[in-house]
Amino acid sequence: MNLFNLFNRRKNREANTLILQNNNESYWKIVRQQFKKNKIAVYSLRVVFIFIFIALFADFIANEKPLVAKYNGNIYFPVMKEYAVDLGFSDWHDEFRNVSWRGLKYDWVIWPPVPYLPRNIDVSNTWVGPFHDQNVESARWKHWLGTDDLGHDVLAGMIHGTRIALLVGLVSMGIAAIIGIFFGAVAGYYGDEKLKMNIISILLYVIGFILAVFYAFGTRSYALADAIGTSFGSFMWEFLLSILLFVAIIYVFKLIASLAKKLPFKVKEISIPIDILISRLIEIVVSIPQLFLIISIAAVVAKPSIFIVMVIIGLTTWTGIARFTRAELLRIRNLEFIEAANALGYKEWRIIVKHALPNALSPVLIAIAFGIASAILIESTLSFIGVGVPAETITWGSMLSKARAVSSAWWLAIIPGFAIFITVTIYNLIGEGLTDAMNPKLKK
Amino acid sequence: MLKYIFKRILIFIPTLIVISLLTFVISINAPGDPVETMLNQNVGGEGRSGEKLASEKTYNEKRKELGFDLPLFYFSFTNKTYPDTLYKIPKKAHRETLQRLSYEYGAWENVSTYYQALRALEFKVFEIMPSDENSSKLRNIKDNLNSLYLTHNENEIKQTIETVEFDIFKDSNIKKTVETDFFELKNSFEHLIYNKEIINRYIPTIHIYGFNNQYHNWISNFIVGEFGISYQDKRPVSSKIFDALKWSMILSILSIIIAYIVAVPLGVKSAVDKGKTSEKIITTGLFLLYSLPNFWIATMLIQYLGDGDGLGWFPTHGLGELPESAPYWDRFFETAYHFILPLFCLTYASFAFISRQMRGGMLNVLEMDYIRTARAKGLKKQVVIWKHAFRNSLIPIITLFANIFPAAISGSFIIEVIFSIPGMGQLTLQAIFQRDYPIVFTVLMFSSILTLVGILIADIMYAFVDPRISFSNKKS
Repeated sequence: MNLFNLFNRRKNREANTLILQNNNESYWKIVRQQFKKNKIAVYSLRVVFIFIFIALFADFIANEKPLVAKYNGNIYFPVMKEYAVDLGFSDWHDEFRNVSWRGLKYDWVIWPPVPYLPRNIDVSNTWVGPFHDQNVESARWKHWLGTDDLGHDVLAGMIHGTRIALLVGLVSMGIAAIIGIFFGAVAGYYGDEKLKMNIISILLYVIGFILAVFYAFGTRSYALADAIGTSFGSFMWEFLLSILLFVAIIYVFKLIASLAKKLPFKVKEISIPIDILISRLIEIVVSIPQLFLIISIAAVVAKPSIFIVMVIIGLTTWTGIARFTRAELLRIRNLEFIEAANALGYKEWRIIVKHALPNALSPVLIAIAFGIASAILIESTLSFIGVGVPAETITWGSMLSKARAVSSAWWLAIIPGFAIFITVTIYNLIGEGLTDAMNPKLKK
Repeated sequence: MLKYIFKRILIFIPTLIVISLLTFVISINAPGDPVETMLNQNVGGEGRSGEKLASEKTYNEKRKELGFDLPLFYFSFTNKTYPDTLYKIPKKAHRETLQRLSYEYGAWENVSTYYQALRALEFKVFEIMPSDENSSKLRNIKDNLNSLYLTHNENEIKQTIETVEFDIFKDSNIKKTVETDFFELKNSFEHLIYNKEIINRYIPTIHIYGFNNQYHNWISNFIVGEFGISYQDKRPVSSKIFDALKWSMILSILSIIIAYIVAVPLGVKSAVDKGKTSEKIITTGLFLLYSLPNFWIATMLIQYLGDGDGLGWFPTHGLGELPESAPYWDRFFETAYHFILPLFCLTYASFAFISRQMRGGMLNVLEMDYIRTARAKGLKKQVVIWKHAFRNSLIPIITLFANIFPAAISGSFIIEVIFSIPGMGQLTLQAIFQRDYPIVFTVLMFSSILTLVGILIADIMYAFVDPRISFSNKKS
């Protein structure tokens, strides 16, 4: 018996690798080759890498603190130190608390390329352009791209704004991808007839879902609301706890439902029209005017935060990804290798995640590339009209909006606007490149 | 066909219900007290008990008139600490505090006793005639009592009660009148904190409220076309929206017409000329146009062509200020002049998008065998393009029609805000900023309905253009 099992498992593994090889690697290789043929898309991808570099090292490129400094005989790394302080590992030395870093007398010092933070105020240089005479000590302190009404350095704002722009794309599309792929996969794979359950299980799941929502989010609503007020990290922690609780409760009910299967009498099985349900859900989300909804939610939230905006964008834009995934899975589920996997008796989740989804991801990638472009556009629109994004957060959109007040400040109109334009364009170009790579027929 | 349309409309109903629930949930969680916004005043504060009573009476009357004194929904599914009679408490801020207190200590009856004691004490305090020596103390007490309505923090409440105690016992006159009520309050609070029933948080309960609730009234009014009145200027929402919709419609429809007129031939031409240098330039240009954020272009146009510091070619604000008495054509040209820049900003993006779609559709069709056949049998190129290929490549364009209806409401949103055109965008944004929720939610509901209608019309047109699509066995 044991030996037989062993043999069987080995056979399964072999079949499995066969399935994977046949359907994934060669396909992705072709996609990569095709994508590389599209020069513009490849260059766009490189620009994205540059943006990622700027976003990651924004603190080292533009900062009010020195990179390295010798002060009173000791060598300090204030920019590095700030990370440790922010994470709670360390604390500032007493002589550095509440000081103006520029005013200290260093033995020697290396400043970042741009010696300003976006929030630094320079009262002697307000509304100065790049070519104006600036009231600065030397070229080292020049505002290379000018300043705004409060003397905020535009270049520093641009550099740190890159971080926000990329983060918006990443977080919102991450959320959208998780929701969209999940719903799309379930709807596409099961369709309207494939998911069969007996009535008792359905009932148990419904009760379990209601109770899970009740205990994970209902009773914890104040804990979650308080956490939003304190910090994003604590909110994520509380939210994670809620999610874990939710999953745990559902799992308990799953166990109960599996017990119900063993009942002596036969219970009627019905198929759940999961595809219709999810398609309706998509229709509902699509028919809500996105910008209006985002603005009204953002206005309702007591304490505006850029992360809330990202979450709302993610929660309203998953439908495109879900549609693509659904359509692909509708096609894939009838292919031979899925039948083979079914015949081998794999669990359905394993078939979906390991066999069906990897083959459906290509159109999802396209949707994500275009989605990032539109998420960045939505975020900059929101900061441009000043909704949802807190006033002290400096983004490309909020910098651009300052150009409306003083029309002679051309640098505030051109520079952030151009950055938004370039970012949106390169993501669109990558999306185009992916589309071409995956449909080589259209290319010719 | 009719059956299909009927089925689709039937499917709209659950969709619309969900959307209405969503908008309702947002509206009840919106910050600010709508009744106070409407009355433009803060109830409470200084004054004698008579005045306080009178102002609370107007508050309650207004609340009743607006229908806020009803339960929120047909039923509630909450934990056992949630007070089922909470909706009877007039002020929104008080309700929030009481709900939180009830959650913290688990016993609504005790919270209710505490609240009643607090109210009783406050009325007693307001009954005292302020005199020279006690007026500052009285004001202190009133402020502290008022802050008790707004906090759920145990230590804060304790401290405030101690301060009130200190103030009361300093003045014998005040002490005499309010002593019993004060101890009532103190005892009720102590009773509250020493009789915690935390277990209640984890017991789910359902309360049934029946049909006389806020959601039911709101949605039934919406169905018969009564959208309520604006909190700000007390005008009916429908008339405000109608005024704004006029400008948005003109702007959007003009822009769509222009976009299609320019985009369709351009798309066809760039598909036919595929491979030529001119085509490559056009395609690249269209792609760049499509990615240009229109609020950026609008800002730049205002800066360089506007009448501020720019060249002064175009007005950038509003729709002109000619009086109603001016000749019709003068007003027409004035408005048209104001429309040029916004219209341009609104049009170029959709124009780029449509021509890219048109080009894609046309390219697909041009590869078909029947086009080659048509050319092979000697038909002229122009005839083949416009008579054979063009018609069949219209299908992707038609789906774009679905966007026209919602675009009429929200498409010109940001452009209207930038150019200060009194359309839907500006109306909605102002309403959001001023927390004028009847307007926000009417707009949200309307544009959702229009989107659904747009999708339906696109589906139907799809079937007319392409007879291969049948409704009977169409999935989803």
